[in-house]
Amino acid sequence: MQKGDRLIVVGCSGAGGPAAMRAKKLMPEVDVTVIRKEKEFIVR
Amino acid sequence: MAGLAAPESIVVPDKNLENAGISVVVDEVVQVDTAQKQVRTAGGKTFPYDKLFLATGSRAFIPPIEGSSLNGVFALRGLPDAVNIKAFLAEQSPRNIVLVGAGFISMEVASLLVAQNPGVYNVTVVEFLDRPLPLMLDADMAGPVREYLESKGIRLLTGRAVEKIVESDGRASGVQLKDGEEIPADMVFINVGVRPNVELAEAMGLEMGKLGIKVNEYQETSDPDILAGGDCVEKMNFITGKPDAGRLRGPAVMQGRLAAKRLAGYDIKFPGVVNAGGCQMFDMVVASTGLTEEAAAREGFETVCAAVDSRSKHGMIPGVTPWRIKLVFDKKTQKLIGGQIVSHAIAPAREIDAVTAFILGGKTIPELTTFTSACNPDISSEPSMEPITIAAEQALDKLR
Repeated sequence: MQKGDRLIVVGCSGAGGPAAMRAKKLMPEVDVTVIRKEKEFIVR
Repeated sequence: MAGLAAPESIVVPDKNLENAGISVVVDEVVQVDTAQKQVRTAGGKTFPYDKLFLATGSRAFIPPIEGSSLNGVFALRGLPDAVNIKAFLAEQSPRNIVLVGAGFISMEVASLLVAQNPGVYNVTVVEFLDRPLPLMLDADMAGPVREYLESKGIRLLTGRAVEKIVESDGRASGVQLKDGEEIPADMVFINVGVRPNVELAEAMGLEMGKLGIKVNEYQETSDPDILAGGDCVEKMNFITGKPDAGRLRGPAVMQGRLAAKRLAGYDIKFPGVVNAGGCQMFDMVVASTGLTEEAAAREGFETVCAAVDSRSKHGMIPGVTPWRIKLVFDKKTQKLIGGQIVSHAIAPAREIDAVTAFILGGKTIPELTTFTSACNPDISSEPSMEPITIAAEQALDKLR
């Protein structure tokens, strides 16, 4: 991905959260948005 | 469920994401226009994307048995479930509790109920297969687990199928088995697995496998701009090379991170799942990885197995507890393909991670006969009792 690109992550539990965090860490110039329906999501 | 962790401590905090510069939107994605490359939410908002990552997870599977929607019937999947369960326990004061399914969620809940409320509940677990934790343990390893749980007051009915949940005054009052026995139950847990949330992906026209969204080793779907990971995707089993649900948190986290690395240009492949997992029941810890002997046979492997008893510490150290490990090898290649641990302390159960590493590394029986673990009197068995090495030696003896 390149500077200014937009990454949308749908869902934010086991895979979504780590994907978003790692993506932002590796590509700080990319616009990362997480969209999840749950108010909160359990992590086991 | 145990009340040991506050609800806010077991969720992904939005602050973690926002502090990292990530935007968080609490809304449901109801449509993805892959041609226009934009998502639409239930709240009416539209978000354009260049790349999309689907992590839609899974939901508890409730089998179509009569009475499964009655008041007093629960599944445990998310935090709201745990909150509802605890509220029901506090407000309705059930006495007879039946858990359907003897997987790790059921067994942990059953043991928590008994351990935290001694003498309060009559707890019965009904399992269709012939033993507790049937996907984790072979019968020889599950036997001592059964004896231990029964000694703690949990009634285990294995090899029994549920016919229906009995209703009285609009709520659950019992569980009727197919053989006719009815077990009183004013609270019922159904924990028999999960199903992937793939409706959105299906509507998008993504290629699907039998067990979830089809992805390659880089988490890429059939749409080049869309990746997916976690419970919603079909995985590959590292050992069999066949499709596997692999719906555990470990692979989900790794697949999420891997997808991010792929988007950043890395060429790293997901190796497949071995389904490593563990659970704690009272002070017993069970962990497993790879294939059981039974599962290996089902997959067509001829196996060589060895089970070894060991100690949590050197024998002269106070507090030493026993533990047992079973290793499963493929006779043809002599490679390690599975391991099971039953322990009365947590530390030895961590050795399952070494077993997983050996499986992923393709280690063989001869190679494992020379394995030496870190040795300290307080944290490990004596080197002469290192059970992985001894199990490999026993397997070697069986091949002579």
